[in-house]
Amino acid sequence: MIDLAPSSSNEFDLTFSGVTKFYGAVIGLNDLTCRIGPGITGLLGSNGAGKSTLLKLASGQLRPTQGEVRIGKLKTTSTSAKRLLGYCPDVPNLYEEMTGEEFVRTMCALHGFPDHEVRDRTQAVLQEVGMTDRAKRKIAGCSHGMRQRFKLAQALVHDPQVLLLDEPLTGIDPGGRQEINELLFRLAEKGKSILVSSHILHDIETLADQILVLGRSRLIASGSLAEIRRLLDDQPLLIEIIADDPRSLAAELMAFGQVLGCDIQENRLRVRTKNAPDFYARIQDLVVMGGQRVRQIQSLDEGAEAVFEYLQQGKHSS
Amino acid sequence: MNSLRAFKTLLRFSFLRLFWSVNTLMVLLPVVGCFLFILRRGFGKMTPPEKAFDAFSTFLVFVFSSFLIPICALGFGTTALGSEREDQTLVFLLTRPIPRWQILLAKILASLPLSCGIVLTSFAVYCVLVGSVGLKAFLIYWPAMLGMAVAYVSLFHLFAVIFRHPTMLALVYALFIELFVGNLPGSIKRLAINYYGRSLIYGLGAAEGLKTPRGFEGIPAAQAYWILAGISGGCLLAAFLLFQWKEYRDSP
Repeated sequence: MIDLAPSSSNEFDLTFSGVTKFYGAVIGLNDLTCRIGPGITGLLGSNGAGKSTLLKLASGQLRPTQGEVRIGKLKTTSTSAKRLLGYCPDVPNLYEEMTGEEFVRTMCALHGFPDHEVRDRTQAVLQEVGMTDRAKRKIAGCSHGMRQRFKLAQALVHDPQVLLLDEPLTGIDPGGRQEINELLFRLAEKGKSILVSSHILHDIETLADQILVLGRSRLIASGSLAEIRRLLDDQPLLIEIIADDPRSLAAELMAFGQVLGCDIQENRLRVRTKNAPDFYARIQDLVVMGGQRVRQIQSLDEGAEAVFEYLQQGKHSS
Repeated sequence: MNSLRAFKTLLRFSFLRLFWSVNTLMVLLPVVGCFLFILRRGFGKMTPPEKAFDAFSTFLVFVFSSFLIPICALGFGTTALGSEREDQTLVFLLTRPIPRWQILLAKILASLPLSCGIVLTSFAVYCVLVGSVGLKAFLIYWPAMLGMAVAYVSLFHLFAVIFRHPTMLALVYALFIELFVGNLPGSIKRLAINYYGRSLIYGLGAAEGLKTPRGFEGIPAAQAYWILAGISGGCLLAAFLLFQWKEYRDSP
């Protein structure tokens, strides 16, 4: 079993035991065994990798074809387990006719709290997600970022032990991301188990202590950020540079030992390197000292698809 | 935390969401249309009263029970759960600590008073407009109208449990398949709720001299009641069983 829980066992650990999920003949998740404990765990994978299937199994919306998913001793499909779960789905629509406050209050009341507690919890959670001043606004008129925050609020309003967040940072501006990250850090400090999915490595990097990487419905890597990074650092990185004189820049870069190859298309230069930090330092030297004019540099390999490809290659070569 | 309180919240939420939806307006439009038709037709002024009863019963068979009742039923029955699926908001209910059967029960209980209320209220208003013949028709036919409304609501809830876009399918079913199948010769017409509704109306109206049209082979009213009750119970049972086990992947 892959164990991402810090202590040996916890009352509210989320446990997948040999979980396989088929949708007819199509496999959604293949033989997943892991335990997720307190703290923030990142779930990384490209579209169709099985992230949403995993989260739907964890939130009890789907039943596994084989194996079982539990929170502590409770099956996630049970009503009791849902009291311990907060789920923020990756859906664009909410109850559009409601205000944000009405939405969160209704979701809270559906947990069976008395009226005064519903009111107090709603106000507290809206404050926590930074939506108190916009709580009276109709959801139909809210931006994507505001909807994300209301969705997060409904997932938190009953103070769950396990929080499942499906792409929660999509559409949120950098300032908002910082606020949400801080909120999640605070919840993690209180001992909550938080599983956050994303298809962007950077989103997960800044948040998670532990990472699960899914690819083609399988768990292909897991561990701390440093462990995942170590796996990635052994793989070459593809970087695209837009420069005024890509040919002379390519010649200078090829003299640098860490560059494995260059490809020039008009003013675009694509470089494959096996040591990204040294490469970026070298580029900086060439721009500052060598007089090269570089307009844009971007890594083409930060998406989950590339990470998945790297990890797959690593698996095959080892 | 209290399960009963959660259920009551869901019931109230579902009822208000249906009541304040555009569906209420869409259902009331044909109701008003029929109101105007009855005003213009002047059933109450027809003589002798037997002729008025006959003409009003024919209106009830071909307009009220074939068109208005299915529209009222699908306006609320299909959308109670169907709108949650189409809007992808069902996930917010499925992840609350409410058993699935209670979610469906709340949706059914929210839609039944609206559908049946509009059906019976509009029927009563039409009967009052028609006069003494109308009042007689109300006392004879209201159980038939109620039975049909419940059967349609139950069937459309089953549609909503099975299909991702149930409203369009229910509309096609109610306005085309029901009418078409219900008027086919032979035993295939027994597949339509409308057939049992007509059997009830002709059966109950016979005591007042209502003649069954040539070519229509109805069944006795008592039998039609039982079959409508069976359809309602069967559809609801199937809906509960399917909803308990079905996995919804409506989200993108």
